Formats: sequence, structure tokens, C-alpha cells
Amino acid sequence: MVQFALWDIFTFLLGAMRWTVLLSLIAFVGGGVLGMGLLFLRFAQWRGAGIAVAWYVQIFQGTPLLMQLFLVYFGLALLGMDTSPLVSAAICLTLYASAYLTEIWRGCVNSVHRGQWEASASLALDFTQQMRHVILPQAARVAIAPTVGFMVQIIKGTALASVIGFVELTKAGQMISNATYQPFLAYTFVGLLYFALCYPLSRWSQKLESHRLA
Amino acid sequence: MTDTNSPDFALVDIRGLHKRFGSTEVLKGIDLQVRRKEVVCIIGKSGSGKSTLLRCINGLETFEQGSLSIDGQALRHGDRNAMRELRQQVGMIFQSFNLFPHLGAGRNVMLAPSLVKGLPKEESRARAQALLARVGLDGMFDRLPDQLSGGQQQRVAIARALAMAPSVLLCDEITSALDPELVGEVLQVVEMLADEGMTLILVTHEMAFARKVSDRIVFMHQGLIHESGSPDDIFKHPKTPELQQFLSALRD
Repeated sequence: MVQFALWDIFTFLLGAMRWTVLLSLIAFVGGGVLGMGLLFLRFAQWRGAGIAVAWYVQIFQGTPLLMQLFLVYFGLALLGMDTSPLVSAAICLTLYASAYLTEIWRGCVNSVHRGQWEASASLALDFTQQMRHVILPQAARVAIAPTVGFMVQIIKGTALASVIGFVELTKAGQMISNATYQPFLAYTFVGLLYFALCYPLSRWSQKLESHRLA
Repeated sequence: MTDTNSPDFALVDIRGLHKRFGSTEVLKGIDLQVRRKEVVCIIGKSGSGKSTLLRCINGLETFEQGSLSIDGQALRHGDRNAMRELRQQVGMIFQSFNLFPHLGAGRNVMLAPSLVKGLPKEESRARAQALLARVGLDGMFDRLPDQLSGGQQQRVAIARALAMAPSVLLCDEITSALDPELVGEVLQVVEMLADEGMTLILVTHEMAFARKVSDRIVFMHQGLIHESGSPDDIFKHPKTPELQQFLSALRD
């Protein structure tokens, strides 16, 4: 039986963690951009657009992320697209993040007093100008804490990408566990590394929240 | 063609206006013409529809029936560009000020002229400074709304509306949220505007002020213009029992 030094396990996991971070960043940035687009659609008062976005959000909130990953992974293959696990996971997590972020931000926009819409409208600003110069700067103050908090959800969500064969932190832990027959040790390391990623973000989010309420 | 400069031309022309909130009809056929440079105060009990009428004039409320035009342009709700054109003609001051809290006083005033009229930054800054000085807020350019008293905030709001050079200014109970000692400074600014020939339509509970600045007073009751006339007509010789009752209730 091959003996693995703890250090080897650790460096292997650390290497895989880079993919967790990369996937999280793609999902967060992509989801943020798409979510912002959806936010504009939701408030633009175009016929049907608001309802369409609401349904989009409901679909992603009402189904398990694991199932969404399967559907995207196998769905893209069915469409004849030869996609890597990374691309599938990135697309799926981007869509997932966009749905949640647009919903989080919708609440923040709604928290801006109606008088701000009315005052900017009566100054003849158009919708995009109202959003960009009046509403979003105020909504952003409220949005920062829950948005950072949601980043933690995304990082943990990337673990599911292991099931479509993407080698990120969880999948790497699985591989170590299979090779060493020491699943508890392997997953303890995995858990610690996730915690090291998420804990600072959680603390930051809490700090922002208490700062806002202070 | 109507001569838009004739003294009889109705800058604000409202005809047969009906407005419903669900099944309640809050405006039941309003006819009101306001001439250039005229100062009109709308008085009446709360719920008589006066604020709703004012909000219809700049399209913050839609209406189901009737017509409304500003300087000859009809208000068309569906047409966003037409609405923005119209809103450049119509300024509005709100009871709750509605300053943009993340921007300083000066930037509150500068925002719309820069964005909507494309005024260069230097020019719009200079104009904002001049307007703030005009409402007695010289040197307050960088103050955030939070750092200003209610009266000062409302004067910034007036400067902000004036920055768009509107042809008519709507004032919706603009002193109702103010502490009594701050009402005077705001009304003084409005009086100055009236003296300078600004066309004003005010919804107000300040009867002494209405009496002093108005060319005409409109008394609204249950969604209709119940009585209107000069301040003397309205306050000294009220004709209808509803107006008499309204006025005597105020005196008690």
C-alpha cells in the first residue's frame, strides 16, 4: 500500500482548490453581469419582461442545483455541443447565481423610497439614468452585505460540480479518499479548505451588515 | 393656431379629467386652465383629490378620461419620449423633499441638467451654485441632504426643479413635513418665484400664504372643482356651503 504524506494530500487539494476558486469567480462575475441585466428588465416596465424574469428566478430557486447541473451538462451534449465539465459547470452556476443575485438586488431596489423614482422621473430622467444615477447607488448600500453572503453560497455550490466530473476541491477529496482509504482524513482537509475560503467572506458580510445597521 | 404668447393662452390646460383608483373615482371631471405667470393655489380637505390632480399634471398618475396639455403639448402616457419632453416643462416639489441622499446639494441640482440637457459640467456646476445662492443656500454646495435642515432640503429641492428651467412648477404640500419655524423660509422662496413671474400651481394648507400669493384659488371637494375665484372671493365671500364649512373648520 502506498503511503501518502499529509503534505502531499494537502498540496494536491490546494491545487484543486484553485479550480473551486476559479469556478466561483466565473459564476459570481458572470452571474453578477447577467443578474444586473435581469434586474433592469425586471424594473423596465416592458410588457411581460418582469413576469419572465420572475419565472426565471422561480425555476432556479425551485429546483435543486444538482439537477440544474445535470440538465445543463447532458442538455448541452444532447444539443451536440462538446462541452467540458468546466464549461458546463460554469454556465450552470452562472445562470444559478444570476437568478439569486437578481432576486437579492430586486429587494434592495425595492427598499429605495418610491419618492426617489418620482423625483427623478419628474426631472425627466429616463429609466436607465434613474437606475444608474439615483436608484442603484442607494440600493448598493443595502446590497453589499447579502451579495457577499451569497458568494459563500456559490463557493459551496461549486462542490456539486464534482458529480459531472469536474475536478475541484470536493472531487479531489474523493480521489484522495479512494487512493488512501482514509475518507475521514481526506474530507476533513476538504472541509477545512472550504472553511478557509468561506469564513473570511462570512465575517466580512456580517461586518458590512452591522456597519450598515449601525 | 393659438398664439402661445397671448395672455389668455392656457399654459396648463386640463379638460374633463377623470381619475380612478380601482373602483373609487377620485377625480370626476376636472376643468382647469392656468395661464402663463399665474399662481394658482388648490385647497380642500384631504381626500378631495388635490394632490392626485397635481400628480396627473406631470404624469406621475395616469388618468382614464379627459385631456391635459402643457404649453400646447398633449400628455401621452404611453409615449416615454413625449413624457420626458413634457416633464422638462413641468417641475415638481414634493412634501417629502425627495432629495437624492447620496449626492450633495449641488450635485442634486446638477444631475438632471447634465444628464437630460447634456449641459457641460462646468456650466451646470456654475448654474447650480447660482441657483443655490438664489434660494439662500450659498456655500452649501457639498452638504449632503442629511446634513441640512428640512427647510434647507426643501429649498435645495426647489433649486433642483428650477435647474431644468420649467415653464410651470407644481408644489405638493411642500411645507407640510416641516417644523413650523422652518415653513417661513420655504414660503419666502416660493413667493420670490411668484414675484418673478413663475407659473405656479400649489396644493397647500397654508391659507394665509395662499391668500397672499395666489392670483386664483381653487377649492376642491369630492373630486371636483367646487368653487374657484380670487383670494378675496374665496376667503371673504365663499358661495357654497362646503367651502364655508371648510373655511370655518380652519378657523376653529
